[in-house]
Amino acid sequence: MLRWIVWRDLTLAWRRRADILSTVFFFIIVVSLFPLGIGPETQLLRSIAPGIIWVAALLASMLSLNRLFANDHQDGTLEQLLLTPQPLFLVVLGKVLAHWIVSEVPLVLVAPLVGLQFDLETETLRILLISLLVGTPVLSLIGSVGAALTLGLRGGGVLISLLVLPLYIPALIFGSGAVEASIMGTAPAPHLSLLGAFAIVSLIFSPWATAAALRISVE
Amino acid sequence: MFYPVAGKMIPWFAIPAAILFAAGMYVGFFIAPTDFQQGDAYRIIFIHVPAAWMGMFLYVLMAIYAGVGWAFNARLASMMASALAVTGAMFTLVSLVTGALWGKPTWGTYWVWDARMTSTLILMFLYIGFISLQASIDDTRRADRAGAILALVGVINVPIIYFSVQWWNTLHQGATIRLIGKPTIAAPMLTAMLIMLAACWFYSVAVVLIRLRCIILEREQNAARFAEVNA
Amino acid sequence: MDWPDLSMGKYGFYVWGSYLFSLLLFVWEILSLKQRKRALKQQQQQQRSSPVSPKVFTGSANETTS
Repeated sequence: MLRWIVWRDLTLAWRRRADILSTVFFFIIVVSLFPLGIGPETQLLRSIAPGIIWVAALLASMLSLNRLFANDHQDGTLEQLLLTPQPLFLVVLGKVLAHWIVSEVPLVLVAPLVGLQFDLETETLRILLISLLVGTPVLSLIGSVGAALTLGLRGGGVLISLLVLPLYIPALIFGSGAVEASIMGTAPAPHLSLLGAFAIVSLIFSPWATAAALRISVE
Repeated sequence: MFYPVAGKMIPWFAIPAAILFAAGMYVGFFIAPTDFQQGDAYRIIFIHVPAAWMGMFLYVLMAIYAGVGWAFNARLASMMASALAVTGAMFTLVSLVTGALWGKPTWGTYWVWDARMTSTLILMFLYIGFISLQASIDDTRRADRAGAILALVGVINVPIIYFSVQWWNTLHQGATIRLIGKPTIAAPMLTAMLIMLAACWFYSVAVVLIRLRCIILEREQNAARFAEVNA
Repeated sequence: MDWPDLSMGKYGFYVWGSYLFSLLLFVWEILSLKQRKRALKQQQQQQRSSPVSPKVFTGSANETTS
């Protein structure tokens, strides 16, 4: 069942690949805006790069969240999924996994390129990649709770951001902290471990919360 | 139902609240001595600290009521959670603003990104999220339950957020000025803070009960109207 | 009763500003609740006097504001 959901969502997403690309472009544009707003001084940019890249990743993730359930909700598939005998936990996990592959992995892959704009070293770019690789599942997982809670509501993207951004903060702190440690020459490992721990906790708890939220939103 | 009981309870909390506020202010301003380091500016803590505690306490209480309301399908508990939200948010706002006003004379700036203030700011965001979510859902049952999930997720995350903010803060310690914490607490200062805390608590109970009654009325009216329309 | 230095040793703005702000918020909370209550009571009167008039839902019962 899990594999089927993932495959289905991936196929559907492929048919709408423009959406995926727009998320990536948003990410790139937002990151590029900061130097334009702050000034081209390399030292300064290098020091704020981790924060900027991570925040841009957060924002881009959030924009992609409504794609998670809204389309299925509109054509009635979601209700069908809720009625299957399979545990909803697995359905949610499948959808989140597909969402991660489609919306987050492109960000992870593009991030090192974007990091070059800030004159980051290769080692730092590597840590950036790892931090996003570990951190973006958290964004998808926690984001899915927000997406499920706000399904069909008028608030739209803004409401999801109000709910979800505060919950993203630990991931932001540990993720950008790891990259910053790399820039300063200290060990990024503690940050990455904490990020990993947070990711595991999210993996265990959020599908459950999302499933509950889906039931509440759909019935 | 609970409506008249709540109504009777309100004065029992409102009046002591007023008395406690007066008493707390008296002890805080007339009995507590001027602080050695911070002069008289420290007297802000008599409202800042109780407000901060209330903000946090009410959030947890709100999550508990929301969770109970969801788990046992107890509508009154869910209504209680909704009633608590605004008061909790308000205390958090008081905490933020008084914290800023305390910061300026003592540390030179209105805002410092220390662990406490930053966590309080994030708590404010959590309140705003809860209130916005409930405000945008028309169906009361869905609003109650959605709020419950959000509040529970929030309450579980609060320790994680607090820890990560502490972590973040100690990391950047070198770049920021070392902050002077609370002044050494003399007995009258602690007494004043505790009295003010009690005052805030009594005030909260009174105000939340008033709001709860409003919510009960609103839901009854909507139900009545719904019945008329669909009769 | 020994009056304390009311200017709070030149910190008066901050100290009294804090208490004033807090007081304003408390007063706002109480007043807006009173207003909400009054509006509800009015609606209740209207409902009682004209029982068979389906009214449009005015405002959600999920209002946690005020």
